[in-house]
Amino acid sequence: MASADKPINTDVPEKDVFALHFLQSLSNLRRQNTFNSPEKTNDRVKKIKKAAYVSMARAAGGTNRLWSRALLRRAAKENNKVVRLPRRKKRVTCLRRRRSNRRDPVEEEEAERLRNLVPGGGGMETSKLMEETAHYIKCLSMQVKVMQCLVDGLAPK
Amino acid sequence: MDYFSPHTYNSSLSFSLVLNPKGKDKSFKFLYLLYMDLSVLERVKWLQQQQMVSPDFFEILGSDGREELKRVESYLGNNNDELQSFRHYETIDGCISRTSSFQIEQVKNNEENRVIALQHKRKTEGKTEKIENKKKKKIKTEDETESSMKGKSNMSNSETSSEIQKRDYIHVRARRGEATDRHSLAERARREKLSKKMKCLQDIVPGCNKVTGKAGMLDEIINYVQSLQQQVEFLSMKLSVLNPELEYHINELSTKQFQACFTDLPEAVSKQLMMVDASSFPLQHQESLDYSVINSIQTTTLGSKDQTSSGWEIHSQSLYNNLRTDSVSSFFSLE
Repeated sequence: MASADKPINTDVPEKDVFALHFLQSLSNLRRQNTFNSPEKTNDRVKKIKKAAYVSMARAAGGTNRLWSRALLRRAAKENNKVVRLPRRKKRVTCLRRRRSNRRDPVEEEEAERLRNLVPGGGGMETSKLMEETAHYIKCLSMQVKVMQCLVDGLAPK
Repeated sequence: MDYFSPHTYNSSLSFSLVLNPKGKDKSFKFLYLLYMDLSVLERVKWLQQQQMVSPDFFEILGSDGREELKRVESYLGNNNDELQSFRHYETIDGCISRTSSFQIEQVKNNEENRVIALQHKRKTEGKTEKIENKKKKKIKTEDETESSMKGKSNMSNSETSSEIQKRDYIHVRARRGEATDRHSLAERARREKLSKKMKCLQDIVPGCNKVTGKAGMLDEIINYVQSLQQQVEFLSMKLSVLNPELEYHINELSTKQFQACFTDLPEAVSKQLMMVDASSFPLQHQESLDYSVINSIQTTTLGSKDQTSSGWEIHSQSLYNNLRTDSVSSFFSLE
């Protein structure tokens, strides 16, 4: 549908928001008793990684972005918790649209790889995928910066 | 073909000129167009304005119509005020498609029939405007075959069309030799949207400027996303190693950081982070801390290339240095 040019919004909140969420999740992790034993490093790594992603999703998009919703859903599934995400105005996946809007098989091979990388990419149309990728990249880079800061700040000299 | 015979023009007499903009009453608008006497001029002007004039229509108008048109040429030059009144009908634009389709429906013209059949499906305004511009293209290409009078009216069309373009729909000009059916137009619009988004991505992903073409850019983007995800994993590993230290320092670190950066975090939130669990810090952990300290020294010498000296980082470094003198020295004393 040809609409007037809406500026594509890829605004990402400031670093502080990300930092706050991440630190909160880390402090929640620390409350667990089995967390600090030095043997189970792999588990710890996984948990921290998951905490990083979840906190990023919460900080950046909340439930307004497709990729953050998909991430939160995935994380909740692993914990066997039920996540209730508020319904958006437009349906996130609309199967009929899928068939009609995605054409051009040459483009689709590359888009397929991107879909595997970006959470929630499977249900999106290609142009929507691009928007989500842009926002996702921005958030990821912000999260990486936060974590890098934290590591450097805590590393003894 | 009844509607287009000249006598019916005269028979369709005065009725209210009230255009029902949002009404779906096609016939009403159509009859408005048939309204004869002086308003024929206005009608034709209006039509020209909305670029609905096609050569067949002129034939249908008959010879009187052509004379009217000649009058219109002079009229247009003199008095543009009446034209203005038509522009104020905002939804005329939306209605036009229906009216035009209704009028020209009788025309036995293959191309236009297809277009009109499409129009009849009541697409959105944007789409119909596209189609009307397609017709504009057709009108322009038919210039050679038309009379000079028609050529003049085309000029006026283009003038007024630029006015209309300032409103809020998108005009898609179909180029010569390109297919003008609905599907290819939609395809083209979609491709343009995609390319716009790719340009956005190009700005974000560093190093995309050198590679041209969609495939190369997509590769770059995919590599970048993968590298970012790997970085997250690597940093989380580092953090897990540092974690026991984290536990002790992070509370004080975080609150002071936030206060130092003058964020407007509510006090309650920052205090939430102030949970001191130093009591859950037995000696056993302190021994393991030595190893972790040594490990972290080794690991942090690696890859800190992306360090931008923002205020946040500087603060964290300085604050940590302040803290170190108090607490870390006790750890080092265990060695």
